[in-house]
Amino acid sequence: MSLNRRKFLGTGAAAAGLVGLNGLPLRAQTKTLNVTAYGGVWEQAIRDCFVAPFEAKTGAKATVSLGGPAQWLAQVEANPENPPLDVLIMTPDLAVLAAEGDLMDEFTVEKLPNLANIPQAFTDACLGKGTYFDYGVGGITYNKQAVSEPPMSFAAFVDRVSSGEFVASVPSIQYGPTTVFFLWALNNALGGDVNNVDPFFEAMAKMKDNLVFWAGPNDFFNHLASGEADLGIYFDGRTWNHVDEGVDWIDFINPEEGGAMTAVAIQKPKNASDLAWDYLNEVLAPGPQAQFAEILNYGVTNTEVVYSEKLAARVTPLSKANLPPYAEIAKVRNEWVDRWNREIGM
Amino acid sequence: MRLTDWALWLFTIAFFVFMILPIAVVVVISFTSAGYAAFPIPGWSFKWFARIFEYQPFIDSLWVSLELAVVATVASCLLGIPAALYLSRSQSGWATAITTFLLSPLSMPMIVIGFASLFFLSWMGFGISFLALAIVHTVICLPYVIRTVTAVYRAVPPAYEEAAMILGASRFTTFREVTLPLIRPGIAAGCLFSFLTSFDNLPVSYFFGSAQTNTLPVVMLAYMEHQFDPSIAALSTLQLALAVVALVVADRLYGIEKMTVAT
Amino acid sequence: MSDTAQISARARRALLLAPALIFLAVFFVMPLADNSARSFIGEEGGFTLARYASFLTDRFYLGVIAETVILSAAVTLISVVIAYPVAYVLVRKAGRLSGLIIFLLIAPLLTSIIMRTFGWQVLFARRGLVNQWLVTDLGLLDAPLRWLNTPGLAIAALVHVLVPFAVLSIASVLQGVDRRLEEGALMLGASRFRTFFEVTLPLTMDGIGTGAILVFMIANGSFVTLVLLGGGFQTLPLLIYQQFNTTRDFALASTMSTILLVIALACLWLQLRLVRRQGV
Repeated sequence: MSLNRRKFLGTGAAAAGLVGLNGLPLRAQTKTLNVTAYGGVWEQAIRDCFVAPFEAKTGAKATVSLGGPAQWLAQVEANPENPPLDVLIMTPDLAVLAAEGDLMDEFTVEKLPNLANIPQAFTDACLGKGTYFDYGVGGITYNKQAVSEPPMSFAAFVDRVSSGEFVASVPSIQYGPTTVFFLWALNNALGGDVNNVDPFFEAMAKMKDNLVFWAGPNDFFNHLASGEADLGIYFDGRTWNHVDEGVDWIDFINPEEGGAMTAVAIQKPKNASDLAWDYLNEVLAPGPQAQFAEILNYGVTNTEVVYSEKLAARVTPLSKANLPPYAEIAKVRNEWVDRWNREIGM
Repeated sequence: MRLTDWALWLFTIAFFVFMILPIAVVVVISFTSAGYAAFPIPGWSFKWFARIFEYQPFIDSLWVSLELAVVATVASCLLGIPAALYLSRSQSGWATAITTFLLSPLSMPMIVIGFASLFFLSWMGFGISFLALAIVHTVICLPYVIRTVTAVYRAVPPAYEEAAMILGASRFTTFREVTLPLIRPGIAAGCLFSFLTSFDNLPVSYFFGSAQTNTLPVVMLAYMEHQFDPSIAALSTLQLALAVVALVVADRLYGIEKMTVAT
Repeated sequence: MSDTAQISARARRALLLAPALIFLAVFFVMPLADNSARSFIGEEGGFTLARYASFLTDRFYLGVIAETVILSAAVTLISVVIAYPVAYVLVRKAGRLSGLIIFLLIAPLLTSIIMRTFGWQVLFARRGLVNQWLVTDLGLLDAPLRWLNTPGLAIAALVHVLVPFAVLSIASVLQGVDRRLEEGALMLGASRFRTFFEVTLPLTMDGIGTGAILVFMIANGSFVTLVLLGGGFQTLPLLIYQQFNTTRDFALASTMSTILLVIALACLWLQLRLVRRQGV
């Protein structure tokens, strides 16, 4: 007998006489599109740059759900027939999982004319079921008052933190993207590869007395602001956002070996409203993308986009960043996490 | 005052310094003039309070959170008080077992309850709705009401109620006139815990978040992940101010001691 | 009274219990059963206990289980010991100040846990306020102490989150204690201390039990404070959170939550038995 969760559950529910409730059409089918956004500036940028032109062109309405990729993916997995969301903002690794789970629709130039100007590698990285629309780079952010000559490479970073010259704040394993933009990137810079992460763990063992860990991006900023750490591993766009908020003592370096590209993927769940294509086409259009980049200080992926002078100086060019092999990493990531738990702690 | 009284007061004051210090930091930061959250602050300003009211999701989600906390607390009382009355008067081993069961949602990491309920309630057809959210919040609030009411009611001698019945009071009159006033501190503490637990809950609400059902903690987290400005601190200060108002109103209406501590 | 009347009275009283039982059976047990099925179904379908076997034979994970229970127990003990005097002052000594005390107790609960943790970081950072006082203002130390990411601060922050539950639980029972019993003991010549330890304390055992149970169970399932403040603790809720956040290994998460639930229920049942024996 093959056992599955639904059968297991079905028996219990039938016994409780609850099956009648199954499939009640509680979600009204109207001409609204449910799109997603991170909070704060992000949401404002999504509304101004993408939702507004979408509503103007189609006459439809879009609601914006605030939250994060893990939550949205779970919501779609729980309701695959009638997904509560029509467009998902995803991290690259979740995008791969969602595509592998056959939960997302294929992206083609027929459905999305603007996809033609997005590098094919980004669509391939989502297994054809989604693409990247903006990206940042993970590198070294430092407090200019505490560090006069910052390390210019990952290798120098490891040496100088090991020697006790600085206290560094690095992402903890509880932060989702850590395995890629920190573990993989540092390991890669130190000569390792996806199947050999010893260089990373050896470097961590050397640095361990001079490390503090951040669990979320704000933590990192607090570590620097409160003097808990002098420098650390962080993102370019977030560093520039702090500068724009009036923080004058912070700066960012893309290490010589190249930081890991940390992209934001966009996907459409199967069975989601077809209006999503019109919206997605706006998200990939050069005009709205340029506007979005200006607000968020992150690079965007449409090759037609021309940045302003201020932004051009800040955005790390695609050629200076490494695109992590997400699909390969996905196969070994849980082993890395387990090893981290045992050797470094949670 | 006796020496022991001095020691007790000293201890209590030290305790509240410990309780208030981290919060005082947050309150001070909410009045900063800087564009970022850091301490000490360079100057004073009210701009982050203005920011709260400019950012519509804060206001919308505050209402969702308030409605949700009220609904979950009322539902927990309706389900929990009768159960507590029954369990407190039962000495048998299986009553202990049932109490254990009724309190068990407390120890499940909320993230597991949220995730499991998302799949189960979606499958049942509740989808991602306010109703679904209210059901799950009731699951996590119910144990507080059951436990606090049980504890208080067990200290009430059955003789009081028996006397009322012997004097001819009906079952309902006995409950209203005798039992209810006696267990009121337990109900008040349970409601308080329940309301605060629902209001501050993140891991469950997170899984049921949508444009219509996002609660304040979910919006705060989403906001903070990408913009750590002092408006979050201002929100906390505002919540404290609302609590002061609520307590003062309760004090005027009932006398606050009667709510939790009827000396 | 006839047998049937007695049975129907008992049945009527059981109706009081039914709504809560049914509600939790449907909306708590069934979702968790559905979820825990993930841990019992193998990669190729079919029933398996392999996940439990490998988890419970791994010394690392056994260490995590022990640490979870020890940490919760320590936080519970500290919280109850701190809470009792405060509850006593609140009920017996505060008088008109009790409103203020209640406000001060629930104020922390109204401040988002993320902001509370932020407050701790500001106070205890390397160049934070506390170190500044100790080193510069008072001159007690030569160099700043490292507080963040230490076990002590993580425990203090957990106590800070949970101690109001203990205070209010104890206070709500303490205020119901018939003071004539204490006065009687005093009149019979018992000292104030003896009266407290032999009359008051036993009468409030239910409040202590409630406080301890709430604190223990919530500590057992909490992870946000530990995620944010570190402290080097490795607990089951942290590992479970990691499965949702990073690895998306829901089967492992489900295995661990089943184990955590069993441990928590065993502890709860023991505590309840203890309270029932001591109290009333």
